[in-house]
Amino acid sequence: MGHTIAEKILGQHAHGKPAMAGEIVVADVDFSMIHDARAGNALKMIEKLGAGKKDFRLPHVKRTALVLDHYSPPPNMEAANTHVEMREFADRHGSPLYDVGDGICHQVLPEGGHFTCGDLVVGTDTHSTTYGAFNAFGTGVEGTDVSAVMLTGKLWFRVPETIRIELNGALQPGVWAKDVTLTMLGKLGAEGANYRALEYTGSGVTAMAIDDRMTLSNHAAELGAKAALLEADEKTFAWLKAHGAATPKPVQADADAKYVQHIVIDTAQLPPQVARQHHIDDVVGVPEVSNQKIQVALIGTCTNGRLDDIRQAAAILKGKKLAKGVRMIVTPASRAIYLAAMREGLFEILTAAGASVEAAGCGTCVNITGHYIAADKQVVISSANRNFKGRLGNPNSEIWIGSAATVAASALTGQVTDARTVAGGDWRAAA
Amino acid sequence: MNIIKGSARVLGEEINTDIHCSSKYLPGKDTAYIAQVAFDQLSPGFAKAFKKGDVIVAGKNFGINSSREQAIHIMHVMGVAAIVAPSFGRQFFRNAINNGLPLIECDLAGISAGDAIEVDAAAGRVTVATRNIIKVVPPLPAAVQSLLEAGGLIPFLQLHPDWNIKGAAA
Repeated sequence: MGHTIAEKILGQHAHGKPAMAGEIVVADVDFSMIHDARAGNALKMIEKLGAGKKDFRLPHVKRTALVLDHYSPPPNMEAANTHVEMREFADRHGSPLYDVGDGICHQVLPEGGHFTCGDLVVGTDTHSTTYGAFNAFGTGVEGTDVSAVMLTGKLWFRVPETIRIELNGALQPGVWAKDVTLTMLGKLGAEGANYRALEYTGSGVTAMAIDDRMTLSNHAAELGAKAALLEADEKTFAWLKAHGAATPKPVQADADAKYVQHIVIDTAQLPPQVARQHHIDDVVGVPEVSNQKIQVALIGTCTNGRLDDIRQAAAILKGKKLAKGVRMIVTPASRAIYLAAMREGLFEILTAAGASVEAAGCGTCVNITGHYIAADKQVVISSANRNFKGRLGNPNSEIWIGSAATVAASALTGQVTDARTVAGGDWRAAA
Repeated sequence: MNIIKGSARVLGEEINTDIHCSSKYLPGKDTAYIAQVAFDQLSPGFAKAFKKGDVIVAGKNFGINSSREQAIHIMHVMGVAAIVAPSFGRQFFRNAINNGLPLIECDLAGISAGDAIEVDAAAGRVTVATRNIIKVVPPLPAAVQSLLEAGGLIPFLQLHPDWNIKGAAA
């Protein structure tokens, strides 16, 4: 019987042969990550383990990155103190560290060339599914798990069943991977893929640039997915090589692999989608809600703060002004993206249009830095991944979720807008 | 694993433990404080009335989203003996096992607070005798039981630094 990508990667890392869904395996972890919202917990654990032991060592700590992204820059002394502890830990043990403004963990790990196709990667963040875009098994864990990895290089996993999702046809201009993940959330519901892995396949995936593929894998976290795996192709190999990753060990599913569910999406015909306030699975086509007024527009996060998102926003806002009464913040997902956007003149375009640009980090998602709060009754349109009531600090405001294209088009008109209807909304990087 | 016997304490569906059982939205408040107020917004007085050895019985997707490990530490302080729900958020499920809190997937809709409940996670059996409920569900995998019996992942690794875990596929 054939095997899925998840069964193959986990099995290869555990016992050298494909695993079976449902098995519990102990697998070698290639790389791990811990960010500043969870580091306190893990570093305390490590301290406790090492207390009073002279020969205490963390043999695998050099393959654990510490990322200062959630509190970037730190809004209070607790966060600033955690950052100091993390820097000291990294100095002491020789772990790679990404400091304030370097970027969001899920962006800096691939940019740093820390893993490649076929690898097993864990991080203390639900959106660690992002690494699946590069054909690596990436999954979210907690401080205890990463402590165990630093100590032993291994971790236990239940091998997940897989849902196979076929995307038929390249997306139209103005339609992005976010519109696919929102479609999936509308179809399966939040947590509708709980405990499962996803495998995205088909011409719709092949046509996507790497930035968009990362959104596809990243936003699977809202479906409850344990991992969201894509096959590797020439685009994957070229991107990994350009970022200094090790030689890829691509993993494909067998033709007779066993899936718990098959889903087909006609991506060629898909219109842009939005999730309405408070519920990420309350999803409708943008054309159905285009009279909805918005007052705050946010582009950023590990889901949609990448260079193509900022390029698309700039294409829409070039030479224009934000609608009266709208404020907009753009937060690049990493320093590398920030620099590239600056060099391409994108921030000049966006700033002239009336938007503000912030240091790379997670703030857009959860208002952790305090810069993103909305007023009572205000409606936020955001390229983030979640929209629980009060997520941005005010339960009396609403958060709607869409692609960066939808956010920029909406910022231009002041209401939820289909990017296909505005000039520049058809921008897409040449393949 | 030992059979767990306790009183049921009931909560609803889709409970986000980051919101209701962590200091994520109460910065500066510690685990001991949250253990006095956890789940109060859903069920006023829940934590205060909670007795050591009680069993949480909840609806589907208990502990959804980016569930913090702190939720389990708080539940240990409250004295939660086990959790029974039709399904759990995957991160919460993992955190519970890693921190030695038994939990089992079983739908017990219809039972009330105070009902005596018996959880045999190794056999996969949940009993509420006063309501003539005996539910048979898949038992926890042997490897997961090993972690729970040790009291969680780190205590397990202190006993077995070589990851010699009973029931893992080799």
